[in-house]
Amino acid sequence: MSESYDFLFKFLVIGSAGTGKSCILHQFIENKFKQDSNHTIGVEFGSKVVNVGGKSVKLQIWDTAGQERFRSVTRSYYRGAAGALLVYDITSRETYNALTNWLTDARTLASPNIVIILVGNKKDLEAEREVTFLEASRFAQENELMFLETSALTGENIEETFLKCARNILTKIESGELDPERMGSGIQYGDSSLRRLQQREQQRQKKGICDC
Amino acid sequence: MSALSLDIKKKFKSLIGKQDSFTSPVDEQIDRDSFPGDLPAVAKYKHTVLANPHEEQEVLEGIENIYYSHTDTSLYELEKLPEVLDLQDIDADRNRLRKQLNVVSKKVSDLVLQNHPAYARELQRVMELEKTLQLASVICANGRRNLSDARQIFTSASLKMLANVRKRQQLTGLLKSLRTIKTLQRTDLRLRELLEEEDYCGAIQLCLECQQAASTYRHFKCISELNSKLQDTLVMIEEQLDVALSKTCSNFDVVHYEKVQKAYRLLNKTQTAMDQLHMHFTSAIHNTAFTIVLGYVELCSGTTNSNFHKRQYTDLCKNVTQDSFTPCLIDLCKALWEVMKSYFKTMQWHEQNDINVQDKDETEEGTEEIAFNKKYIKQKLDHGLTRIWMDVQQKVKLFVLGTDLSHFKLEEFIRVLDIIHRMIEIGEEFCGSKSDGLQDSLKQQSLNYFKNHHRYRMDELRMFLENEGWELCPVKTNFTYSRLLEFKFMKHWNKSPELSPRGDSSLTTDNKVVYFKDFTDGATPFDVHPEDDENEDVFSYSFDSEGNDSDSDSDIPDELKQDYIDEITGEARSHRQYKRRISHNRSRKNVPIVTNTTINLLRVIGKYMKMITVLKPIAFDVIYCISQLFDYYLYTVYSFFGSHDSVRNERAINQRLHLTLQRIHSNVIAEKATPGAPPVDSEENQDRVPQPHLSPVVDLTAADKLFGLSERVVAAESLVFLANQFEQLQPHFETMIPSNKKAFLQQFYSQTISIASELRKPVYWAVSVHAIDYNGVINLMANVRWDIKDIMSQHNAYVDDILKKFENLNRKLSDISRRLPIPRVVYTSVWEHCVRLTNRILVEGYSNAKKCSNEGRAFMQLDFQQLLSNLEKMIDLRPIPEKEFVEGYIKAYYLPESQFDSWLLDHKITRFVLHSPLYSVEGYIKTYYLPESQFDSWLLDHKEYSPKQLIALINSVDHLNKKARQRLITVIEDMERTRR
Repeated sequence: MSESYDFLFKFLVIGSAGTGKSCILHQFIENKFKQDSNHTIGVEFGSKVVNVGGKSVKLQIWDTAGQERFRSVTRSYYRGAAGALLVYDITSRETYNALTNWLTDARTLASPNIVIILVGNKKDLEAEREVTFLEASRFAQENELMFLETSALTGENIEETFLKCARNILTKIESGELDPERMGSGIQYGDSSLRRLQQREQQRQKKGICDC
Repeated sequence: MSALSLDIKKKFKSLIGKQDSFTSPVDEQIDRDSFPGDLPAVAKYKHTVLANPHEEQEVLEGIENIYYSHTDTSLYELEKLPEVLDLQDIDADRNRLRKQLNVVSKKVSDLVLQNHPAYARELQRVMELEKTLQLASVICANGRRNLSDARQIFTSASLKMLANVRKRQQLTGLLKSLRTIKTLQRTDLRLRELLEEEDYCGAIQLCLECQQAASTYRHFKCISELNSKLQDTLVMIEEQLDVALSKTCSNFDVVHYEKVQKAYRLLNKTQTAMDQLHMHFTSAIHNTAFTIVLGYVELCSGTTNSNFHKRQYTDLCKNVTQDSFTPCLIDLCKALWEVMKSYFKTMQWHEQNDINVQDKDETEEGTEEIAFNKKYIKQKLDHGLTRIWMDVQQKVKLFVLGTDLSHFKLEEFIRVLDIIHRMIEIGEEFCGSKSDGLQDSLKQQSLNYFKNHHRYRMDELRMFLENEGWELCPVKTNFTYSRLLEFKFMKHWNKSPELSPRGDSSLTTDNKVVYFKDFTDGATPFDVHPEDDENEDVFSYSFDSEGNDSDSDSDIPDELKQDYIDEITGEARSHRQYKRRISHNRSRKNVPIVTNTTINLLRVIGKYMKMITVLKPIAFDVIYCISQLFDYYLYTVYSFFGSHDSVRNERAINQRLHLTLQRIHSNVIAEKATPGAPPVDSEENQDRVPQPHLSPVVDLTAADKLFGLSERVVAAESLVFLANQFEQLQPHFETMIPSNKKAFLQQFYSQTISIASELRKPVYWAVSVHAIDYNGVINLMANVRWDIKDIMSQHNAYVDDILKKFENLNRKLSDISRRLPIPRVVYTSVWEHCVRLTNRILVEGYSNAKKCSNEGRAFMQLDFQQLLSNLEKMIDLRPIPEKEFVEGYIKAYYLPESQFDSWLLDHKITRFVLHSPLYSVEGYIKTYYLPESQFDSWLLDHKEYSPKQLIALINSVDHLNKKARQRLITVIEDMERTRR
């Protein structure tokens, strides 16, 4: 693997069926809108290295099926996710109403420190809007979520969503709020940062020897 | 005669008569001047003349006539003489003659005198005439002199005039020449004009005409200069023509080319033109390729200062960035295609036009030469095809190999392949070349790309496995790989794999595009947009399960769906819903058991197979990688569920499975990097993947969940499902793999795929081992006394204990089966293991008996029969496995020593072949009855019993004496030794 990165974050994309989770992921990775997409079976996967605040971060993204019957399959992927995109469809109140359930699921099954960003997808279908921006942002505020409205069709805010989430996690790591070395944090050091850590350790050891 | 003499006589007479009448004035003068000597003679005659005129007349008349004739008068006179001479007569005659003569003389003298004046007069006139003649001569001389003078003067003037005229004429001619020369000079300008108008033919014609004209004026000095100038112009025209010719390389235009060809034909240089043309094509290929790549490299580098244009093409190709690779490749191919198309059109033109030319020129004498030319051109063009394709191929190959494509997205890489593939097809159409160079680069890049791609996929697979919760992924009952969109491309050849993909390719050749005919206009075969690309379609949809998804949705009643949603809110309700789900699951009894990873793995296989259709050269490598995917899945299932140290039991894994696992371990699984240890050879480790770790979500220790039985079921059954899918795919693989590699496939199927179901044993074994508390049974059995003296009618408590534990297991199993359809094979496997383990425990328990009586032995049989009959009620496992193991052990007690050998030999074969490894409780129990003589061979054959059990058996057998026991124990110990 010639890819080198500083961190690896495990991300989840969750939300009711038909909200456009797979399309968001496809748009993020391929920079294209996926026509004729079917329901996701189980869990799909995608990864991309992004640059966040001068650090390269590999995002390992699990795109889960929104359909209820896959719930038991998808829940095993929740564990150890560092970040999650909680997606609803702004043209469907039903998907918005389900958010609470999804949120509980994410908070209980994934790591408790999971950084969640609320994503109102299908922004391009303004005419069919059923959920207002204000309403959703209030919900986000109440539940301490970040919030963005996106369009997988036009690509608007798609990359921004992932970057915002990753940036938030990085800040938390830097502030010490998140410990990447804790099990199930959903964060791993990449090759380059591992090397840096080892060097630091070696220096520390050398110092120790000197002290003796 | 007489007449004549008469005439003369008359004349003579008349003459005498006249002399008398006149005297000429010149008489005297004549006398004096002309006849001075004669005068005396005349005077003498005058003296004898007779004076009488009549006499004289008579005399005259007497003259014989003879004297007037011209005869010899003397002779006449002589002849007249008579024979007898008479002097008289003679004298008379002489007198007469004398007289006659006198008369005649006198007459003559008279006549002379008479005519003298006339004579003088006449003489005078002659004199006068002489004088006049002299005068005339003088005049003539004068005239002549004058005439010559005049003539001299007259000629020189006219000559001058003539000369002038001539000069004028010449000058007129010169003027004409000069005019022509002037025109000639001017033609130079016209020539340039013509050249600008690209009318080479006209230019050459004009030039040649000029040259011809000039050659006629060769004598002018200025002409020689002009001539050389014309020559230069001609050379220039040729150069221009050459440039024009080179233009045809990149953009063939019939009109343009015709002009050029006509011009060359005019120059009589068609052969040279052909050679030049080939040179131009070669350089055109190089230049186009270079320019395009340079353009992209400069565009991407952004900096203009690095001197890319001085680099070698190969070097340049290495500087193409990955982003610009595909557009650059497309442009390169397009440009090279244009060049090739131009060449193709050139050939076409020659094919058509050379025929015409021949038709036209057939009558001419140069036919032979033309035919030769035609042949030369044709040969040259035909030969050129291969050379040009070689050049084009080389350029594309260098470009393709210049960039590492391994990090390309699959779609994009496929696109690159497609382009190269199209190029190869074009090459084949162009000159029938197999394009080894391009194929090579294609293979090299494909392999490189695919290896890298596969590494990612393997890593992804590991990630999937590490995150896999081994939950059943609900799919439609009739789900197979073919339902996945990734396999959609095979749909049309699903039914008859023989037709594909090779049959497929032959199909495509039928309606294959003929590039050089289909893309005659500005369009190129590389214009196709990725959206329109057939390849792209398949990869761009990602989700699928087409109708499948919605179908299976409709399987679930709406209210049930409602239940699912409720499930998230409260766990308390979940049990009820599980029950609902069971009923649902029951209705779909044969639902395929697959995991999320299984589906993803199938998708990857689908993509790989799709890749084979474009990556034919590396079909084997791809299939090998497909086998690795399966290997890894199999190994993971084993390492997660079948390889627990606590229950590691070599007997649970048969030899073939063991070998397969070992092979996978050494081929696919990367060594764990131990810190501090020297890093493992990265080259070798690159193609391997570290062993995955089981997701922490999965709990294999919870007793109430039967130690992860449901996860085990999903894992093992999904593996079996996968193997099943592989079996269905086998014919496709068979057609895809090169025939010389078929052995690999056979080996893979026989050693790995067919082994997959064997993995159930170790996976479920673990459940069987943990599900029943065998040690508790042993403890219970230890409390039983076997040296009883009475036959018992009530079985022992440990039997109930075992049965209770079995019932417990049965309940748990049915609990699980409500959530998950447990295939019958799983039940069988779990129960079989449990029964076998129980049997083993029983034998172990029986062997623990220090003392045993005949009644005790019967008691054992009673217990075992009780257990068996209850088991048969509880589980539908027939026959109860390894029943004979226990029975045999018990009954061995009764065997007479002498029957041992034959009994054992009989059982040896069947048992060891069919039930290896064998643990028969029954056998063990029965051994108790064996006579000593049979023990020896029995012992030798029943290696399934441990030495401890055997020794215990020997010790407990009552009917053996001490010596016999001792001997049998030694046999057992010997056996033990040889076993090791």
